[in-house]
Amino acid sequence: MSPNALCFGDEFPAAGAPCFVQVDTGGLTIAFESDEGDGVREATQFSALTVSAGGIDHDHLVVKWNNIRGERTLYLKNPDVIRAFREAVPDHLDAPLAQVAERVRQVRQRRRLVWGIVGGAILSSVLGLWLGSDILVEVAVSRIPVEWEQKLGESAYRDFLTHQDVVKEGPAVAAVEEMTHRLTEQIQNNPYSFQVTVVKSDVINAFALPGGYVVVFTGLMKKAENGEEVAGVLSHELNHVLQRHGLERIVKSVGLLTAVAIVFGNQQGLIGMMKQLGIELLTLKFGREQETEADLKGLELLQRAKIDPSGMIRFFERLSEKGEGRMEWLSTHPMSAARAERLKGELAALPKTLPVPFTFDWKQVQASLGSQPVAVP
Amino acid sequence: MKSEILYPGAFPMVRVELAAGENIKAESGAMVACSPTIDIESKMEGGFLGALSRKFLTGEKFFFQTLRASRGPGEALLAPTVPGEIAILELDGVNEYMVQKDGFLAGADAIVIESQMQSMSRGLLGGEGFFILKISGKGMLVLNSFGAIHKIELKPNQEYIVDNSHLVAWSTTTSYNIEKATSGWVASFTSGEGFVCRFRGPGLVYIQSRNPGSFGAWIRQFIPVSE
Ligand SMILES: [Zn+2]
Repeated sequence: MSPNALCFGDEFPAAGAPCFVQVDTGGLTIAFESDEGDGVREATQFSALTVSAGGIDHDHLVVKWNNIRGERTLYLKNPDVIRAFREAVPDHLDAPLAQVAERVRQVRQRRRLVWGIVGGAILSSVLGLWLGSDILVEVAVSRIPVEWEQKLGESAYRDFLTHQDVVKEGPAVAAVEEMTHRLTEQIQNNPYSFQVTVVKSDVINAFALPGGYVVVFTGLMKKAENGEEVAGVLSHELNHVLQRHGLERIVKSVGLLTAVAIVFGNQQGLIGMMKQLGIELLTLKFGREQETEADLKGLELLQRAKIDPSGMIRFFERLSEKGEGRMEWLSTHPMSAARAERLKGELAALPKTLPVPFTFDWKQVQASLGSQPVAVP
Repeated sequence: MKSEILYPGAFPMVRVELAAGENIKAESGAMVACSPTIDIESKMEGGFLGALSRKFLTGEKFFFQTLRASRGPGEALLAPTVPGEIAILELDGVNEYMVQKDGFLAGADAIVIESQMQSMSRGLLGGEGFFILKISGKGMLVLNSFGAIHKIELKPNQEYIVDNSHLVAWSTTTSYNIEKATSGWVASFTSGEGFVCRFRGPGLVYIQSRNPGSFGAWIRQFIPVSE
């Protein structure tokens, strides 16, 4: 008789004792295998039993009772035994058994669904390769809900900030808040609630995570000659978020297959895949087209917010002129004269508006950061 | 079929003796040496979709090899790629194990290997990836680990917390929840180790004493980067 269940109890090994369960009219008989031919038998009444679902997929029927040797826990998976058990048990076990059956049915259904998704994904990635993958990436990105994007960005953001010296209040924070407010109120149908944090560090950098989490380093603020320059960088970063550039990169890196899986409704799979491939959100580099898009959309946003866009251009120009200092923004944002030139051209094409200055005094903001403004020749 | 672990410790091999006509499944690339009576067939386990899913989603295990003693009795020597211990488990038809994709080295012909998709939250957060192997059936199962292999025995409802990158295999009678690691467990979000598994018995959990991801990161610092 080959075993059809595992029995757990104090004297059994932790992996469980293989046993043969037989369902009788009044209860269960459990025969344990033994090396000396005739095995040990135990019997129990239905009235002594409690049942639940258990195991890694909750698809085992777990039956518990107590006898003189202590607690017994039986893990049943064999469909024949489970069927026989269901038919024989008295009423008091009906309700819990029905719950277990429902749970097992759900697990099976989910598995079918999941494989359906995978099958569909494989099929359509072949199709996707044929039709062009960029469209697919775009469709996949557009299917990812903003809340999910926020969850992803927020965990990276919080984790990053716990290791940083955050500037919590003062003129620098007030200034950045004013810039953010001026910019974000010009965004139509904005699904993001942007959070901008000032972090004390000499690196000349700022970055945006998917979901609208932005970090500006004090090094960047010290380097800038006026608020408009910082606002320019901020506007650029906000547009990386608005255009969902981070997600596009992630979807591209994890591959077409995942992109298709996302289109087919499995958005959450992405995080798992990302972790597997070791993509690090904080070091995500954008593509050249994405940078250009963030520049141009950033410029338009500045214009709408009545913030002088020449600050942005000027800052880019200065960054491209010299490589001194730890220009971290440069490592993710290769500056070229061409980039500033393109923006100049674009700006000339936009309708002229009269800029409205910020309410803060930039020299004061910089003084609050603890060092003299960097003199720029 | 008889099997024996040679050179137990960091650099072991398994010797499997096959009677005429017997065969064994082995991870592709596990074969070190064999008698001339043994034929190697590459075979997809679990049909087309199963093989595809393994290829795409759990790494290279597109094919398992079948080593068959078709021309008389013989033996085969098998070894894993990474340094680490080997454990041999005997499946009796009722106990089943979930095995992390790199943990499978070989198994008797009568064991059944399925690629299984983790539930969303597990695949999402667990380091073992979206697909793992579910191994059932009857006969020998050979696991390999990175570092030493350690067995944790859990009584019913007994709990144990494991860093998910150290998991090798676990009984299907266990259940687990993924939890965010508290600060003591983890360096940073980006190290990819932010989660631990809280296992609940009954059953066995096999863990490895080294974390492949951390080891890779440690190695990388010595590799000169060319710009
Ligand atoms: Zn950028």
